[in-house]
Amino acid sequence: MSDERLLCVSEEPEVAVALVRLARSLTGPGTGRVVAVVLPGSAPDAAERLAAAGADEVRPVDGPALTDPHVVADLLAEIVAAVSPSVLLVGSTKRGREAAGHLAGVLDLPATTGVTGLRLDADGIRVDREALSGNAVAVERIVRRPAIVAMMPGFSAPPAAPSPSPGRVRQPPRATAPLTERTELRPKAGGQLEIEKADRIVTIGRGLRKKEDLPIVEALARALGAEVGCTRPLAAEAGWLTDDHWIGLTGHRVHPALYVAVGVSGAVQHLVGMRSSRVVVAINKDPNAPIFAQADYRITGDLYQIVPALTKALGG
Amino acid sequence: MGEKLRIWTAVKHGLDVNLTRADRTTGLVRVESAPRKTSDFDKNAVEEAVRVRERLGGVVTAISVGGPAAREALREAIAIGADEAILVTGDRWAEWDTRAVARLLAAATRKLGGFDLFLLGEGSTDHFAGLVGPRLAGELRCAGIAYARRLTAAAEGVVVEKDLEKEVEVVRAAYPVVVSVGQEINTPRIPTFMANLKASKKEVRVLGPPDLDVPAEALAPVVVVERVAVPEIPRKQQTIAGTTPDEIAARLRDALRGEGVLP
Repeated sequence: MSDERLLCVSEEPEVAVALVRLARSLTGPGTGRVVAVVLPGSAPDAAERLAAAGADEVRPVDGPALTDPHVVADLLAEIVAAVSPSVLLVGSTKRGREAAGHLAGVLDLPATTGVTGLRLDADGIRVDREALSGNAVAVERIVRRPAIVAMMPGFSAPPAAPSPSPGRVRQPPRATAPLTERTELRPKAGGQLEIEKADRIVTIGRGLRKKEDLPIVEALARALGAEVGCTRPLAAEAGWLTDDHWIGLTGHRVHPALYVAVGVSGAVQHLVGMRSSRVVVAINKDPNAPIFAQADYRITGDLYQIVPALTKALGG
Repeated sequence: MGEKLRIWTAVKHGLDVNLTRADRTTGLVRVESAPRKTSDFDKNAVEEAVRVRERLGGVVTAISVGGPAAREALREAIAIGADEAILVTGDRWAEWDTRAVARLLAAATRKLGGFDLFLLGEGSTDHFAGLVGPRLAGELRCAGIAYARRLTAAAEGVVVEKDLEKEVEVVRAAYPVVVSVGQEINTPRIPTFMANLKASKKEVRVLGPPDLDVPAEALAPVVVVERVAVPEIPRKQQTIAGTTPDEIAARLRDALRGEGVLP
């Protein structure tokens, strides 16, 4: 419990609510102050939701949606000056990290991203964050306030604790000239699969020799009632599957009950995407593949023989 | 831009995350002694810088902020095709955080006449904070575009396809602009033997914070890493073998049935 001011902002509505709940739990009920920014273009009930989550004050910003990080940073700089928070909480989304970095550069503030845990200690702000491509957890101490802390979306947020009389302060838009111009916004190709929600996943790696062999793996996925995942080279380099199948540090993080890694070597950047899976099966012809160290069931063999046999055994 | 396009690219000589091991009993990683290599995303940035120069002409300056071993990252950048190399180093480089690195990069560009296009990785393989590029743009109050998956450079500016979680945003900016790139943007070339040989002979310009008019106190860390640990996730590590693929498949099916994870 502390008498600190915390400022929360995220372009993702769910993340914004989670940030406010976290901030409220850090200050404690009735102490400190939690202020939430409502970005232009938010849903009509955004301010109410943030107040219900625990904000003492919401600051709706008028005007069109903001995309240029320079303009976002300029607006946030003004709000930081008005609220003087000890911590600015943002979401560690791509836009969130980018805005955090810009603002940190403009105001010369400490900043950190990918944070899963936050404590306001007497000798500084302590955060747990992902490190080493997500396979380790680092504890960092921020020695100066205010600081910018970007929380990983999906971090475990404490329950809501509504403030008894939340206030509302209109935040006028700024007249900053943008330095970048958006000319187009389009959904990603493919992009409709939400592999984070899959209960079972069969992931294919570079062990697959050619794109035409994908049906072998897709048949196993069907027999298992699973989604098909892939490693970075197959999505980003070969383009055999769209980005929504890509599991790893810069792809998606998944946590299914069953994860079957087929022809996946197990680079650290892939492991971070799948390490929260409950049961892991690895099929690889290289007995020294790093994926085997992360597997519950290990099969050393040729995927072109094992996978069809497994599909058959499962009645596919 | 002036007569020649001034392209800068930053390379980090970071921890090699695939070779970094935790102590078996404590789970702690000894960061000081871990092997290092050029951060993956930065190689994409160097490759993109060289491709822009190949199309539009100009000079590619590679810069690294780090210890003496960061010369290796610069050598690699030269081998890929960068024209000149700058190492910014000092006694206390090991404690420089993302703020210090961005300040030194900004100071170097100011001192050495500015840039049109500054390319760097969207994050480093070891830290992956994704802050240095945006911080640099913020510090210099110039345009910044992160998460570039495609870049088209022209004489007056760039058009970038920015990779967001669910969308692709096309963004235009005039020079100067800082662009952070993802790995989708290109596949970095593998330097030839001759390119590697020539790169190892290339002179690296070494500068310290005083050369860049940055006082030591401006670099004092504001974010201190206290410990790095690898959380242990227990796995059964059970080998499933058999004389035929069908036998192996049946054994795995039974094991998965026992786990209750089959539909």
